[in-house]
Amino acid sequence: MSDLYLIFKNLTRRKLRLSLTLFAIFVAFLIFGVLSSFNKAFNSGIELSADDRMVVVNKINFTQPLPIAYVNKARAIEGIDVLTWCNWFGGYYQDPKNFVAAMACDAETLLDVYPEIVLPEDQKKAFMANRQGLIAGQSIAAKYGWKVGDRIPMNSNIFSQKTGGSAWDFDVEGIYTGSTEQFDTNSVYFHYKYFDESRSFGKDFAGWLILRTTDPALNDQVANTIDTMFANSFYETSTDSEKAFNKAFIAQIGNIAMIVTSVVGAAFFTILLIVGNTMVLAIRERTGEIAVMKTLGFPAARIFKLVLGESLLLSLIGGLLGIGAAWLIIGAMKAALAGILPTLVLTPDVALTALAIMVGLGFLTGIVPALSAHRLNIITAMSRQ
Amino acid sequence: MGSLISQINAVVAMNVKSLPQRAWMSAATVFAVAIVVAVLLAFLAMANGFQATVAGTGARDVAIAMRQGAQAEVNSVLMKEQVDLLSAGPGIAKNETGPIVSAELYVIVDGIKKASDTKANLPLRGLSEAGMKMRGDLKIIEGRMFQPGTNELIVGVGALKEFEGFELGRELTFARSRWTVVGVFSMDGKVAESELWADIGSVQSLFQRGNSFQTVRLKLDDPAALEQLKAYNEADPRLKLDIKSEADYFADQASGMSDLIMYLGWPLGIAMAFGALAGALNTMYTSVASRAREIATLRAIGFGGTAAFVGTLAESMVLALLGGLIGAIAAFLFFDGITASTLGGSFTQVVFSFKLSPALIWQAAVLALIIGFIGGVFPAWRAARLPVVVAFRAA
Repeated sequence: MSDLYLIFKNLTRRKLRLSLTLFAIFVAFLIFGVLSSFNKAFNSGIELSADDRMVVVNKINFTQPLPIAYVNKARAIEGIDVLTWCNWFGGYYQDPKNFVAAMACDAETLLDVYPEIVLPEDQKKAFMANRQGLIAGQSIAAKYGWKVGDRIPMNSNIFSQKTGGSAWDFDVEGIYTGSTEQFDTNSVYFHYKYFDESRSFGKDFAGWLILRTTDPALNDQVANTIDTMFANSFYETSTDSEKAFNKAFIAQIGNIAMIVTSVVGAAFFTILLIVGNTMVLAIRERTGEIAVMKTLGFPAARIFKLVLGESLLLSLIGGLLGIGAAWLIIGAMKAALAGILPTLVLTPDVALTALAIMVGLGFLTGIVPALSAHRLNIITAMSRQ
Repeated sequence: MGSLISQINAVVAMNVKSLPQRAWMSAATVFAVAIVVAVLLAFLAMANGFQATVAGTGARDVAIAMRQGAQAEVNSVLMKEQVDLLSAGPGIAKNETGPIVSAELYVIVDGIKKASDTKANLPLRGLSEAGMKMRGDLKIIEGRMFQPGTNELIVGVGALKEFEGFELGRELTFARSRWTVVGVFSMDGKVAESELWADIGSVQSLFQRGNSFQTVRLKLDDPAALEQLKAYNEADPRLKLDIKSEADYFADQASGMSDLIMYLGWPLGIAMAFGALAGALNTMYTSVASRAREIATLRAIGFGGTAAFVGTLAESMVLALLGGLIGAIAAFLFFDGITASTLGGSFTQVVFSFKLSPALIWQAAVLALIIGFIGGVFPAWRAARLPVVVAFRAA
């Protein structure tokens, strides 16, 4: 009789209790998988940011504009490889509820600054050549059914056209994908030139500049040079690494990581109590049996292994089912939540963390009964019967 | 009938009194339920607090006008001519100086969020005396009101509490101009407490807005006058603004975030409740098993199955209720009244407090009782049908 067979037989002798305990573990890992993926998606902006990419914004706040003249002044600074600029459009499609993350950017430099934006060569060329052209991420294009070649109107909740009205016409020239699955494909980019010439106010200003340094080691130096260059002007700047900028932005929403950690912690604490108690009980019920096994010559170490193995197996089965279900749920939610959390995926590192927790849980819930089974004195156990 | 009730009473008392014998299993159930209730209440209190702050802000008899499609104050742009034109409209309350209207600017400046030590968006509202009068519950609780025409500003209590850099007397620099915080204001827990206020003229020149505004608030004769004003606005092609009552505007602003929290809170609470339910069922089945001899004895001396059923169910309900109580107390101690801030509909920070209410506690108590009921009913069924002979043999 192999040990695994024994463990399996022990585990399955009370089917109802087994399924209830498994279900409790399943729920905890389901919560862990789903919430951790949400947390990851929220933080993907930090994780995916490039080390050499920096953001220049108005020192008062990033919603305040910067003069477009800063572009050429900043470009001359040593250590800058490439620089682009964007302006928030405040877009919506057809109805104000259909929010579109649309930005007017310098088309020539945009793709150099964001190599994550993957676009077929012909679409890239077409976008460059058409000043009313637009490129849309595949997730937003799918949401509104946009295809290459479509001409679409898009409204702004901030800007209006010189000719009146808040609708601009665009040609969908490209649909981009991300170089990684987590890259946000929910945004839309179009030509700053077209936007700037046609808007009724704010001309010759940009929302922010984005640049890549020739070497991340030069980041601080470049930031200082830029901010000093424009200090004491009417439009002072604040230059940060993309990572720091995104981090501050996510912190504005709230301490999501703390909420997730607390909830997941609470869920695991609960199952630790439930599973721990069940294991103690299950082993206590088997006191007589363990005494018999010891009498038959099973070494204490083997009994110890059997009990610990049982709790580990329990935790692994429940946990793997839970993570599997979380994976399915996240997959199903991805499309529905593309607008809010475009980068929602259950990543392998979440699954690996879950696996580590499963082992930890199995160990913690099994160690006490395993030790008491190990120590069990045959005489006392038999006389207790 | 009387004997059934006394049987039930006897069994319930016996079960509840013997709980300490099953201390660990029972405690695990109590804690599991307590944790479920506490987590659920934390989310509900968060949603409720945000909702109370934002949705409670707007007045029914104040209309707010923005550029068409703007959706939030921060996006809108209005010209002086549009403000004047709208002020001449019908249904607007008047005083000795004319119609009571407040044209305002709403711009975003950086503050440092204390909780994370990072930059955060804070609204700087430029407004005039008329705008302040329109907000009846405005109170200066420290310092004084700003002087019109100067670079002085006052800070809301919420913004002061959650963000660094706006302490009374503090000098701020925005684009070469120096500003001084001269007062702290409260506004009955409304959104404005997360804002900075300054004179409209000073804000216009700081942000080079010339004579443009972002929103205009109009005091109405009565809430019904809104329709007249809307009709007037629609009829004039120079206007065509979005007009809503302030109450509706803030209700819209509140709904997104508080819905999101609710949609997160309830599924999580329910998922965790299922986990706790599994624990409760395990505990109760174990309880029935360990009391098999006791139940069989009672049956043998003439107690009915109903008494065994109710006794087990009551035990489970007592455990769940105890858990619910502990969870609610914990939620009250740890979460009620804590302040937090998040990004609101206008892309700026909204400071709010977690707020528990009897209704929320009741919802959580119901969840706890459901766990107790389902967790008890199946094992109780087993207890009631336990064949006496088998029970004696098993024990």
